[in-house]
Amino acid sequence: MGASQTRTEDVFQELSDKTGFSLEQIRILHKRFRQLSGDEDTISKENLEKIQALDKNPIRNQIIEAFFDKRNQNDGEVGSSREIGFQQFVKVMCHFKPPTLKMTTEDKEAMRREKLRFLFNMHDTDNDGTITLDEYRKVVEELLSKSGAIGLEAAKAIADAAMLEVASINVPHMEPHEFYEGITFEHFEQILKGLEMESRMNIRFLDVDTSTMHCGKSQ
Amino acid sequence: MGLFFNPFNNLICILLGISLTVWFTMLLVFIIVPAIFGVSFGIRRLYMKTLLKVFKWATLRLERGAKEKNHLLYKPYSNAIIAREPTSLEEEIKEIRRSGSNRDLNSASEFEMSDIFYFARRGVESIMDDEVTKRFSAEELQSWNLLTRSNYNFHYISLRLTVLWGLGLLIRYGFLLPLRVTLAFTGVGLLVFLTSIVGLLPNGRVKNYLSEKVHLMCYRICVRALTAIITYHDSENKPKNGGICVANHTSPIDVIILASDGCYAMVGQIHGGLMGVIQRSMVKACPHIWFERSEVKDRHLVAKRLTDHAEDKSKLPILIFPEGTCINNTSVMMFKKGSFEIEAKVYPVAIKYDPRFGDAFWNSSKYGMVSYLLRMMSSWAIVCSVWYLPPMFREEGEDAVQFANRVKAAIARQGGLVDLLWDGGLKRGKVKDTFKEEQQKLYSKILVGAQEDRSRS
Repeated sequence: MGASQTRTEDVFQELSDKTGFSLEQIRILHKRFRQLSGDEDTISKENLEKIQALDKNPIRNQIIEAFFDKRNQNDGEVGSSREIGFQQFVKVMCHFKPPTLKMTTEDKEAMRREKLRFLFNMHDTDNDGTITLDEYRKVVEELLSKSGAIGLEAAKAIADAAMLEVASINVPHMEPHEFYEGITFEHFEQILKGLEMESRMNIRFLDVDTSTMHCGKSQ
Repeated sequence: MGLFFNPFNNLICILLGISLTVWFTMLLVFIIVPAIFGVSFGIRRLYMKTLLKVFKWATLRLERGAKEKNHLLYKPYSNAIIAREPTSLEEEIKEIRRSGSNRDLNSASEFEMSDIFYFARRGVESIMDDEVTKRFSAEELQSWNLLTRSNYNFHYISLRLTVLWGLGLLIRYGFLLPLRVTLAFTGVGLLVFLTSIVGLLPNGRVKNYLSEKVHLMCYRICVRALTAIITYHDSENKPKNGGICVANHTSPIDVIILASDGCYAMVGQIHGGLMGVIQRSMVKACPHIWFERSEVKDRHLVAKRLTDHAEDKSKLPILIFPEGTCINNTSVMMFKKGSFEIEAKVYPVAIKYDPRFGDAFWNSSKYGMVSYLLRMMSSWAIVCSVWYLPPMFREEGEDAVQFANRVKAAIARQGGLVDLLWDGGLKRGKVKDTFKEEQQKLYSKILVGAQEDRSRS
């Protein structure tokens, strides 16, 4: 019992150093991981699909897929895993950390790029490095069409208009015979250049176990 | 027959008289006298330790009961992993688009690439922290404190637990509640009476000294009336004259907790009724800042009076709760900047309640003041910690809002509270959850509505 405890603690410490979460946050994340996986060592797509709160989200499938997408692990691999372990789970969570006060501008830029990359990967489902019209249409449809207020045709039209806009921004002088291949990552960055991401793509992870505070001598 | 009853009656009267006398003497000796001198016998801490042991036992029984039936227990206080901000879909999308570089829209009209941010974040939030998975799990239950109002697992109570709970009920309502109510009345009554007397004296050092003693004594009695067990940390940073003391706000009891350890000038609106009587008599003994209802709206007047008070070094530090409303003690919300525009030293204070003994949070939309006080007085105890933080000044080039946020962050960090950005006023208007299709409907309505507007114009 004792040996395995220290080994887990070491793993946590290593993860904490690598990802920038505090040790306490890693412990809490681990608890959450165990809750989701039903006390197993890996999470599969079915585990995530069971979450009721996620049902309300229009792009639920894309989000679940993002956890299993190997590109978000920054290992250089592509493709999709069937199940993920705790380390991969935490790495995906890293994309949602807020910038700290101590970060330099370069660090903040890098973090911003990582977050944009995460979203880019969500759109680019065939891993070819560009978001084609079809891929973009799919996302828009997910967001809109099932409600009935906007039909499939309208959703398509909206997607087309958006793509046109992207194209006009990035490749302003396109010849009539040229075909806009798709949104590359650089174009993606360009479109969302001014967007203030610091509060949009952040999840505030709590530091302290807020459920019980002990009264008594101050530490 | 008559002869038989007479001595019996007498006996009863004598017994009653004796027990009442004993009762009041004990009250005096163990509670009121220590309150006057500010010493403590340590009875309350002993009480707290005993209670904790009992709670632990009760929890184990509950867990055992649940395990026998092979069910999961419902945890009312589970670890929050993330802080969720309950802004609505429309607001967030507007925010996202406003900060985008392409257009400056005032309404969320056309589909933008950045809209997906909102859904992505919400989705990951749900994965991280959803109500269902979090609350029903096989982990250790936090302790149950024998109050039905905080017990959600009542299927698993055995006979022994029920007996214990019944005993607890008897003790709380039969013994503790009357005791506390007596003390409360004594405390308040003494406050009104003694401050009026002190108010008759001419202004001077004697008056200030006496007023301080009187205030402290009465607040200490009130603290005992609530059985509040308070631990003060870092008392060397206690607020001094001519400063402003700023604290986070969970319940009206915060005032009593802080004021029993030091003298403050209170700020507030004059009420009618009993509160008004108390306020008027308090202000006779030492200068508090009470506003008429009409004056409250006038921000300049408020600021001026506060500044005048703070500049006078002989006056007590002002006590302000900048959040403006009671928060549920896991987070610190937006501090209103008004208190920070005044040129004075700010002494931040963090107050954190221990939830194991009862929830001190006052949800003013749910409970009135009287029912809240009754709830407080019929729970076991109120245990909290107070941290006095070192004073802070407004720095060069810092405006009131930034200063307020800096103070807020310091308080949140010390008390282990979450530092949230939004306004406490949102508490009154909860955001409803919608299902996936409704979310889509809402989103598409936003787009379609705008398109219709455009085609019309």
